[in-house]
Amino acid sequence: MAKEFKPVVVTANDLLEGDSVFLAADGWVRDIRMARVAMTAEDAKALEADGLDGETGNLVVGPYLIEVSLDAGRTYPLLRREQIRADGLPTIPFGLDAQPAERRAA
Amino acid sequence: MYRYDEFDHRFVQERVAEFRDQVARRLTGALNEAEFKPLRLMNGLYLQLHAYMLRVAIPYGTLNSGQMRMLAQIAETWDKGYGHFTTRQNIQFNWPKLKDVPDILDALASVEMHAIQTSGNCIRNVTSDPLAGVAPDEIEDPRITAEVLRQWSSLHPEFTFLGRKFKIAVTGSEYDRAAIKVHDIGLQVVRNAAGEVGYRVLVGGGLGRTPMIAHELRAFLPKADLLPYVDAVMRVYNLLGRRDNKYKARIKILVHETGIDRFREMVEREFASGDHAAVAVPPEELARIAAYFAPPELPARVPTPVEFERMHKLDPAFARWVERNTHAHRVPGYIAATVSLKPIGGAPGDATAEQMRALADLAERYSADELRITHEQNIVLPHVGLGDLYKVYRGLAAIGLDAPNKGLVTDIIACPGLDYCALATARSIPVAQEISRRFADEARQREIGPLSIKISGCINACGHHHIGHIGILGLDKAGVESYQITLGGESTEDARLGDRTGPGFGYDEVPDVIEKIVETYLALRDNPRETFFQTYRRVGMEPFKEALYAPAH
Repeated sequence: MAKEFKPVVVTANDLLEGDSVFLAADGWVRDIRMARVAMTAEDAKALEADGLDGETGNLVVGPYLIEVSLDAGRTYPLLRREQIRADGLPTIPFGLDAQPAERRAA
Repeated sequence: MYRYDEFDHRFVQERVAEFRDQVARRLTGALNEAEFKPLRLMNGLYLQLHAYMLRVAIPYGTLNSGQMRMLAQIAETWDKGYGHFTTRQNIQFNWPKLKDVPDILDALASVEMHAIQTSGNCIRNVTSDPLAGVAPDEIEDPRITAEVLRQWSSLHPEFTFLGRKFKIAVTGSEYDRAAIKVHDIGLQVVRNAAGEVGYRVLVGGGLGRTPMIAHELRAFLPKADLLPYVDAVMRVYNLLGRRDNKYKARIKILVHETGIDRFREMVEREFASGDHAAVAVPPEELARIAAYFAPPELPARVPTPVEFERMHKLDPAFARWVERNTHAHRVPGYIAATVSLKPIGGAPGDATAEQMRALADLAERYSADELRITHEQNIVLPHVGLGDLYKVYRGLAAIGLDAPNKGLVTDIIACPGLDYCALATARSIPVAQEISRRFADEARQREIGPLSIKISGCINACGHHHIGHIGILGLDKAGVESYQITLGGESTEDARLGDRTGPGFGYDEVPDVIEKIVETYLALRDNPRETFFQTYRRVGMEPFKEALYAPAH
């Protein structure tokens, strides 16, 4: 049985900064909520091709499609890995923020 | 420790200039990603989940204070103020910008460091015993061998494009603190019946998706034959190792499929036909390298100074730290101190720039200017006078690195996992943090005794989960994190791969699962001295399985 199509967006890493970016109507953005969503397999192909243009245009690295949920009008990845990427940071405090409060001020 | 000669300096500087040019061409589009990726990987630069990641080599885990301060400066100037020490005795910076990486490499070169061969299908950083040159049970400082191998393997034209990455570890003691049985080649400095010093050579160990314990290839290899023999192993591997499937391309697969006896025959034949004189390290060069590892001149100290005795009695927390985190030194009056990078609830192996600077200061003042990174993601101050130990301890307490937990349940190894790593399938660090908080009570940790928990966020096993007394492997099950548990792994000379308990557990369940395993052990052990590993070996998996999977009554 063919896999049921789910809405997708295209994501990649920014060439300069390396962070997660998503293709929006007017270019690559950090906020997945701004991303263009393909609702059909045909739209997904076109979106993927636009993503690849970002790589050949030297803006991003490794574009690929990810499935998203649109619950409550919010675009958010379905897979845990992509959720963490979309959030843009580790799920835990890091560096100085991970230190006890008394040493954070130092 | 080893110091660069003129050739080393020029080589590293030329390499930085070359990479600066490559980055510039990447930014203008003259190089596309397919062309650039192998070049950046050769310089330790990965692209991870949220950012680029730069892996910097710390040869055999040895650093001086100036190098540690430079790592702190890099963390502050070009990263987010911290670094992550890894199970391969390296450091990783998680947030560099592509355009800044050549400047970072320049900064590293200024203190005789680089990121060459920290990635790619080449011979990686040669790792060693963090107590090299310190441990009383040592036959010879293994870093001499590691440095010989480093120089020989750096940009070796024949071994720069192997079928897969290649990892070598060296120990100078019978007691294995370098996990040599889970490396592609493991070398143990030994003495033969005639009293000559040479090597026991192991081959075909490794973790990852097909974990294997190494086989003995040679019981005794004369020292002079080191490079010709390793060269022969590499040649056999390079010729016969698989290149059609990256998951079957490590030497362990070749050894496994060929059989150790047949593999040995091929190596011995290659070795016999090789031009030893062309490959062997000349004695004068060996002597030059060995001189860099001459023991530091440590001033004579009384074996048990009064100030140490006094503080040991007055400060019970200090006494507990001494008991867990120090190791005997070959020189009376000195001790090697392990700085645990596992504060309760901390990210294993992470250190802030402030902590790195403070450690550099302590090393400069109290440890003959040396630090060692351990494959257990801790740091060793190798040459501390006992009379200075309390000052060192207080210095560590001031930066939150005084946890007296070396080898205990909260001394957890964890890879960066899905919080950082593009390959990961599940998170590791927060799992480690939750377990650490669960077992925060010091008295309880001591009651449990020696217990290593090792966590990997994918089957590549950077967190060495197969050789943890308790191993935790994070996987992706239809987009949800799931954790497989193994029991009874071991990383030392008694190395052993852990056994799977059964079906995996959800992210939130893991601390309770560990708690059940620990409680089961405490109930089963013969006496308080029987360790978790010993109990597991005696009673086997069944009682633990029962505790984990039997329906509640």
